[in-house]
Amino acid sequence: MSLSESSATGAILAAESLSKSFGRRQAVADVSFEVLPGEVFGFLGPNGAGKTTTIRMLVGLARPDSGRVRIAGLDLHKDFARAMRHVGCIVESPDLYRYLTGRENLRHFARMLGDGAAGRIEELARLVALEERLEEPVSTYSLGMRQRLGIAQALLGSPDVLILDEPANGLDPAGIREIRHLIRRLASERGIAVFLSSHLLSEVEQTCDRVAIIHRGRTLASGPVRELLAAAEAPLRVTARPGARAAEILAAFARQPPRLDGEDVVSAEVPRERVPEAVRALSNGGVEIFSLERRAASLEEVFLEVTGGETV
Amino acid sequence: MNAGLPLVENEILKLFRRRRFRLVLLILAALNGLIVFAQVQVQARQKGPRKEWRVEVQERIARTENWLRSGRVTDTWRRWGRFEIGRLQYHLDHDINPEKVSGPLYTRGFANAGSLLLLPLLAIVLASDIVSSEFSEGTIKLLLTRPVTRSRVLAAKAAALILAITLTVLAGGLLAYLFSGLAYGFSGWGAPVLSGFRLAGEAVDLSAIRALPLWQDTALVFGLAWFSALCVGAIAFFTSVVLRSTAAAMGSMVAALIAGTILPRLAPEWESQKYLFVTHLPLPDIYSGSPPPIEGITLIFSVVVLAAWAAAALLAAFGIFRRRDVLA
Repeated sequence: MSLSESSATGAILAAESLSKSFGRRQAVADVSFEVLPGEVFGFLGPNGAGKTTTIRMLVGLARPDSGRVRIAGLDLHKDFARAMRHVGCIVESPDLYRYLTGRENLRHFARMLGDGAAGRIEELARLVALEERLEEPVSTYSLGMRQRLGIAQALLGSPDVLILDEPANGLDPAGIREIRHLIRRLASERGIAVFLSSHLLSEVEQTCDRVAIIHRGRTLASGPVRELLAAAEAPLRVTARPGARAAEILAAFARQPPRLDGEDVVSAEVPRERVPEAVRALSNGGVEIFSLERRAASLEEVFLEVTGGETV
Repeated sequence: MNAGLPLVENEILKLFRRRRFRLVLLILAALNGLIVFAQVQVQARQKGPRKEWRVEVQERIARTENWLRSGRVTDTWRRWGRFEIGRLQYHLDHDINPEKVSGPLYTRGFANAGSLLLLPLLAIVLASDIVSSEFSEGTIKLLLTRPVTRSRVLAAKAAALILAITLTVLAGGLLAYLFSGLAYGFSGWGAPVLSGFRLAGEAVDLSAIRALPLWQDTALVFGLAWFSALCVGAIAFFTSVVLRSTAAAMGSMVAALIAGTILPRLAPEWESQKYLFVTHLPLPDIYSGSPPPIEGITLIFSVVVLAAWAAAALLAAFGIFRRRDVLA
């Protein structure tokens, strides 16, 4: 889970010790990570953790107090226009010109790119399934359609890296699935690296290859998604009678003393591989088991794990 | 790197597709229509045969002289009175009717009067929104994350604004000519117009007076009105960059404009106001030689002061826009 990898790895996007404060409040402190070509990288943290501030620095909207951003090896600050050729992005929300049609919006941003970007409009509209609504003003679009138009816009310049800020925000489950599917396709079929921020663990888990966790402006951990999740297992909840007896038995298997949550409900941190054993011991000990459940590890629990008990 | 033209094209598209520009044209049409209509109504109500213009001018000179003799006149008004008498007398001596109404004369009058408030106001309406709307709509985040430097984005906006203000002044002139022409006739562009009256102490200095054909004089007046509108536009552009809110930018600029028109009346002796930009907005008046509210103001001085304000505003706008964090 080391953050310091060498820059010679050919990262398409690299944050190098970014720090930013607003007045006396340190919004981002010493944040570093690297995004490799073709991978989907998740930037996970609760609201207010510094995700959007970091993204603003990644795309040059805000200037870091210290540290720097490299895109395809170019220093973003010194070589803004050339570095941004490699980037497509949506920051915070997909705000496009609402009084223009979808096509006019795409033409507008294609003109800022030159290089035949206008010739890609039809293809991209098909990709995001908007070709039938392209002549209508954006003010008539749903949030999901605007999100898709935003992605089409971001892809106009054939970028090497796509930076998306909370792409699932405000979308219904179907919309979230569509966007997730699209992101995975872009990474696998076109080899585009995707950097996406989210406060939802499940979203990151289902979309990303690697993840960095940010909390109070600092990156706490980074690595492949599954490793992080495995490190933070939620406790097993057992409904059994009598509860006190169950707690006594489970104490032998749990990492910490089990907790009696109700008369017949016990929470215990039993590692996955020891669960069958524990269940046998419970029924041999004359305890009646009504249910066994393990909630998926929540973001909070991952945090508890990586912050060593500090609450979110 | 693409050339700047597509960027300007983008800005023009956005400017014209917003309701704002159409509103400006509508205001110009409504205002000109209303004024011409009102003038025609007033003239129709005047009873009896109209006096010969020479008699009317002589009466006005006499009235002004009586008023000056009454003694209860401030120095500023005394200067104006003497100036007016000199101007009217000159017209009498050279057999030129100063009040003749025609389409071309009204058109010139529109630019002349419009340069004080109307055209600057419309320039403010156009300019105060051109940057701040991108902030309020959130589109600034896209606009500034494309492979184009911020300076070039802002330069394209400035170019589009210059075009829009130019079109506004032209449209104002054409609408004025259309409405007044329908009421008073379209001809009369060749009539001589006197300008260059100047006050020298107590008397009117006639040495700088020129008689230009009306069309030349009108072109000059429109050029000056255009210039002062552009300068106000540049300052409003700066305000829009700094405040990032259309309402705040427009409000503060209109307040400055109104303060500027009141100031010479309330504190005519305050000399430092000749360094404020609002003092110089009625460039056509300063050129044709209405008595300047402050002594020592010449056309060149006014143009230089306005240009200096506009240049400083643009420089500051670029400096701020290039460096500032976008957190909208």
